[in-house]
Amino acid sequence: MIVDVALFASLASFQPDGLPGRHSRPLEFPEGFLISQVIAALALPDEPRVIFVNGRHAEESAVLRDGDRLAIFPPVGGG
Amino acid sequence: MAMTADARSALRGATVAIIGCGGLGSNVASMLVRAGVGTLRLIDFDRVEEDNLNRQLFFRDDLGRLKTEALADTLRRITPEVALIEVVARVDAENIRGLVTGADVIVEAVDGAFDKAMIVNACATALPDVPLVTVSGLAGSGSANEIVSERIAENVYLVGDLSSDVRDGLPLFASRVMVAAAHEAHVVIRVLLGLLEP
Repeated sequence: MIVDVALFASLASFQPDGLPGRHSRPLEFPEGFLISQVIAALALPDEPRVIFVNGRHAEESAVLRDGDRLAIFPPVGGG
Repeated sequence: MAMTADARSALRGATVAIIGCGGLGSNVASMLVRAGVGTLRLIDFDRVEEDNLNRQLFFRDDLGRLKTEALADTLRRITPEVALIEVVARVDAENIRGLVTGADVIVEAVDGAFDKAMIVNACATALPDVPLVTVSGLAGSGSANEIVSERIAENVYLVGDLSSDVRDGLPLFASRVMVAAAHEAHVVIRVLLGLLEP
């Protein structure tokens, strides 16, 4: 299945194409892949993150479906 | 030109929950009060310290006071009739829903990345229909023009440059913190007026 994956800020460098930028890339994963498995496959660092699928918040345990738009955003400190 | 009666009424009738009354939250609160927002829930567990005075809306004679209480006094000096609910608590994933109850918009205004993620995750899960404004990236001396506001998901608005992290040893300048606070406050005003961020 194809999932459109957008990685924000410091996570952008973990896109498989190695190119900068937060724009989404269509990535292929096995059917029934979980968000946590995408995180592991892309080797994202174990840091605070916020996850959205199709514009709604999602848990890492959620199952992805073909055509989903997955966005992962890592907040940074300061306030 | 004055605001229309409808706009004034929308702001006066609104309740905004501000989680964290430090550099972001204290300044967001003052801007919302000046804009005419009727009710604020001010949520913080901390007391005013000397090193807050470089960017937070507190004064030397506030040192040692609860931030919620000192901020409420200052806000009433601007608009005596504003309704202020002072909530002295540290927000966590379990208590957050009760702490922000009744809010039309929630403002995340804490300083740590872990807490920011926890607040966005908890609010978006428990209260997906309440708009949330969050900030990421305001530290350091980079251009203030790098700080922007955008809608990143249904009901979630993000302010900041997304990258400058206090963890990297970057200082916090009032100028840049207040740019982020002004973006947050203005997103709240726009949401309350029924306008959508791009």
